[in-house]
Parts: sequence; C-alpha cells; structure tokens
Amino acid sequence: MKKALIASAALAALSPLTAAAAERTLTISVYAFAQDDFKTLVYDPFEAKCGCKLVVETGNSVERLAKMEANKANPVVDLAAVSMADALAASRAGLIDKIDTAKLADFAKLYDVAKDPNGDGMSVGYTFYATSIAYRSDKMKIDSWADLLKPEYVGHVAFPNVTTNQGPPALYMLGLALGKDTPDLKGPIEALGEKKDDIVTFYEKSSQLGQLMQQEEIWAAPIGRFSWAGFTKLDVPVAWATPKEGQTGGMNVLVLTKGSKNQDLALQFMDFWLSTEIQTKLAEKLIDSPANSEVKLSEAAANNLTYGEETAKSLKLIPSAVALDNRAGWLKTWNEKVGQ
Amino acid sequence: MFQNRAEALALALPAAIFATVVFLLPVAILLSEGFRAGSAWSLSAYADFFSGTLNRTVFLRTFRLGLEVTAVSAVIGYAAAFAIVNLPAKGKGRMIGLVTLPLMISPVARTYAWIVILGRTGIVNQAITGLGLSAEPLRLLFTETAVFIGLLQLFLPLMILSLISALENMPKDAIPAARVLGANWFQVFWKVILPLTREGLVVGGTLVFTGSLTAYITPAVLGGSKVLMLETLMYQQVSVANDFVSASVIAFILIVMSFAANILLKRLATARNRR
Repeated sequence: MKKALIASAALAALSPLTAAAAERTLTISVYAFAQDDFKTLVYDPFEAKCGCKLVVETGNSVERLAKMEANKANPVVDLAAVSMADALAASRAGLIDKIDTAKLADFAKLYDVAKDPNGDGMSVGYTFYATSIAYRSDKMKIDSWADLLKPEYVGHVAFPNVTTNQGPPALYMLGLALGKDTPDLKGPIEALGEKKDDIVTFYEKSSQLGQLMQQEEIWAAPIGRFSWAGFTKLDVPVAWATPKEGQTGGMNVLVLTKGSKNQDLALQFMDFWLSTEIQTKLAEKLIDSPANSEVKLSEAAANNLTYGEETAKSLKLIPSAVALDNRAGWLKTWNEKVGQ
Repeated sequence: MFQNRAEALALALPAAIFATVVFLLPVAILLSEGFRAGSAWSLSAYADFFSGTLNRTVFLRTFRLGLEVTAVSAVIGYAAAFAIVNLPAKGKGRMIGLVTLPLMISPVARTYAWIVILGRTGIVNQAITGLGLSAEPLRLLFTETAVFIGLLQLFLPLMILSLISALENMPKDAIPAARVLGANWFQVFWKVILPLTREGLVVGGTLVFTGSLTAYITPAVLGGSKVLMLETLMYQQVSVANDFVSASVIAFILIVMSFAANILLKRLATARNRR
C-alpha cells in the first residue's frame, strides 16, 4: 500500500513535466532518405535550439499521406516533406494549411520557383533536382531524349517505371523529343511500349542502377541528380547528358498539417530547415540541392547537385495539377502498352 | 496435463487476443474492402480485376511460375533428399547444414547475388560465351527465367528438408523389398517412395507454392516491372495508385490460391493412398 502511494505521488509529481514535454513535441513526416545525416545536421541542432522534442516519421509519400488522411480529425504529424504533386493532393484533400511566410525569416532568400510551387500558398520548396540521362560516355553519345530509343542503344537502356518519381518527367521529355507532348503521355508510353522487349528494365529503385551500369548490363538511364554522385564513383566512364530538349526534374516541399496544435513550432522548424546555414550543410553533404539562393557551394558539391537559379528556372517540370489529374491514366496506359 | 479445458483456454487467451488484434482483424478489414461497392456488398471489384488483360496475364503468370517452381523443386528435392538420407550420420548432418545454410541468409542478399551471377559479365554468361554457345552475352536478368531461378533457389531448401523428414520415416526395407520383387527404379519411386512420403511432399509443396506466390523481393529485383507478379502488382496498386480495393482483391486471390494448393495436394496424396 505504502509503495503504491509513493508511486502515485511520483506519477502525480511528474505529470506536469510530461504535459510540458508533450506541448513541446514536434512530429514531422519525411522521406526515409539520408536520415542519419538529417539527424546530425538538422534534427539534433533544432532540438537543442528550441528545447523541444522532435519525433520523426518516415515512409513513402503514399503511406505518409494515407496516414495524414486517416488522422485528419486529430492530426499526429505537424509538418511534412512531400513532392509538389503530393502537396497539391494534400491541399485538395483539405489536409494542409496556408503557410504564414511572414514568419519565415529566410523566405525572401528562396529561389522564386520555390516560394509557392503550386501557387496556392500551401507549400514551400526546400530542394529541387534535375532529371536527365546518365550514360556510358565510352559507348554512346546522348544529344536528345529520343536517342534512348535508337536501335543501337535501346538494348542497353534502363528507363524509370511510371510508378517512380522519375518516370513521368522522363516520359514527358521523351514526348517532347518525339513531338508527342500531351499531358496523358500517351505518345511516349506507346513509343516505349514498342521497344519494351529491347529495354533492359523499367527500374523501380535508382539504387540498383549503379550495379547494372558497373556490370555493363546498361549503358544509359534517366536519373535524378541526387543519384548522380554514386555514378561518379563507378569504375566506368559515366557522363551527365544535356539533351537539346532540356532537363526535367522535380521539387520537394514542406507543408503544415491542418489542425496541428504545434504550427508555430512547425514554422520555426521550417524556417530552420530553409536557413542558409542548414541548406548549405545539407548541400555540402550532397544530400539536398539548396532552394536558398544565398547558399554558396564548393565546386565539388556544385558539380554533383542541381545548383543555381538559372538551373532551377530551366527545368521543365510537370505542373502538379497535370501530374495529379493524369496519374491514374498514366498507370493505366503504361500497364496496357508496357506492362503486358 | 491441464486440470480442465478452461485452464488451457486461459493459457491460450493472450496469444489469441494478440493474433486477433494485430493480424486477423486488420486482415479482415483489408479483405472486406474488396467485397464492397460503397455501402453494399458486391463482387464488382473482382469482376473489374479479372476484366483487365494485364491482371489476367499477371494472375496466370504467378500461378504458372508457382506450379513450375513447385514441380521442379519436387524433382530436385527428391533426388537431393534421397542422396542425403543414404549418407552416413556425419555426412548427413553436414549436408543438412548445407541445405539450411541459405535459409540463414537474407532473401534480399540471396536475390541480389543473382544479379551478379546472371548479369552480362556474370559467370553464367562467361560460361556460355566461353563454351562458344553464343557470340554475345545473353540477356538473363529481368526475365521470367531469372525470376524462376531466384524463386527455385529461395524455396528449394524447404522442399528438401520436408522430403528428408518424410524419407527418414519410411521403412528402411521398403525399397530393397520392391527391388527384390522386380520393380525398376521408376516403379520403386512411383509405387513405393511417393505413397510413403506424400505427407512430406504436401508440406514441401505447400511451402514452396505459397512462398512462390507471395515472394516480393525476388520478382521485384530479378523481374522488375517487365515480369509483374501478383505481389508486385499489389505493391504498385497501393504505393502508386493508392488503390486499396485492388490490393485487397489481389491479397484475397493469393490467400485462396494458397489454401487451394494445400487442399489439392492433400487430396492428391490421399487419393493415391486409397488406391
């Protein structure tokens, strides 16, 4: 009985502390990518600065958005890092709030394309990337996206599956090269379907490409610039293509959950992530290309990332609304023409 | 052992509650998705699924590959198990250790090893070009053949172990007796070994067939989207299209196929036994 009383008293004494800690807990939802580096460079310094606890949830976009949807009435996550298109999907589903950019000290430093990527005030870009073709410079020369389908090259190509983040942008550029650039991507998917038996694989994970390139299984593959550093370490000569149609890519953004009880803390964290110091550290580690225009990079880092306002402006991005409205149709056409 | 039935039930209750809450209930909720159209019960999701050419192709491919892997593993498994049970005790232990060794290695590592082995510069292609069978390396990766090899390597140990256990329990003089009575080796296998080891074949066959149907990593890595299987299609439906109804339909189809395989194998075994 005495022990029970002591335990109860201790719990009672601790409960205000627990409540205080709970009030200062920020839950973020991010990609599972480079989390050890993020912990060192972003999460731990922020926790030290704010005196709060950061809870990090990771997973792919669909899983994380599904979880946000399931907890819509009582949000668990306060801030999420998602793709531009997923941010628009979350906005349409009423899952996110407008961002009070006046509370972001470094907002003005962002490249214009990152300030309001979807034009609805619901997201802020924190990184963007170019997508082009990594290719064996000793085996081939890539001047156009259409070169991937040349008879002498097509048997050595890995193309991103439509289900990956790189798939639709690569198809969009192939469509431009073929003169068939409709939002439904029917032209490039059909062109790819005609060559599906020749193409080595329609890859799901860019991490498997290095090994395939090293083994001479493939000579070329459209990839995001964030994967490029790995290719430069291979024992074979690999080049980054600058096709005449240009480069495509994508942007990842930060969003605030609607109904979150920690929006001010979430905005502080967003501001911290977008600061020149943190963006520089993430870029120098080759984790994320900076969206902050004041970031100055070493030559080595700049060569491996998508860097600079001109580069950002030149990327031919698929508008989020187009991606969102056509996703199901792309998959259906792909499965009909390529998947069978 | 127990004082009464209630005592036994009480002991089983925590595990039963745990299994119900974390497994049966979520699975039931997921599977129910496929039988609803709005608020009404309906089979329209199944009709939609089988009306798609791609879905039918993937279903048939998954079923066919499952059967092929099971059949080939049974043939290789019988030969290997028969050889192992006839070894002296020391050798038998070593061989069983070798058979179980791959089971201790992650399927991911085992599957990725095949990328190196089956690649253009891998040992298989080196042997093919070295022997002059082909001037150019063959494309072996991202084909049905690669998926078949990967699945066979993944599940063959389960078949061998099941058959070793069954052969160990077979009367030692059954084969010599059949031989003395004039049976050739095929007759010995068909009329003596197979009926006496049918339980092992049913267990092994069920494990291999079910494993082949539900394996994800091997078809995804060695086949990719060029060789879609039901489980890779299910992942695609969830992760890209956010279509949990289709995923539920595929999950239910896989469960039915697994149960059907087990029932069919048992029936075949008992039918042979009755004869």
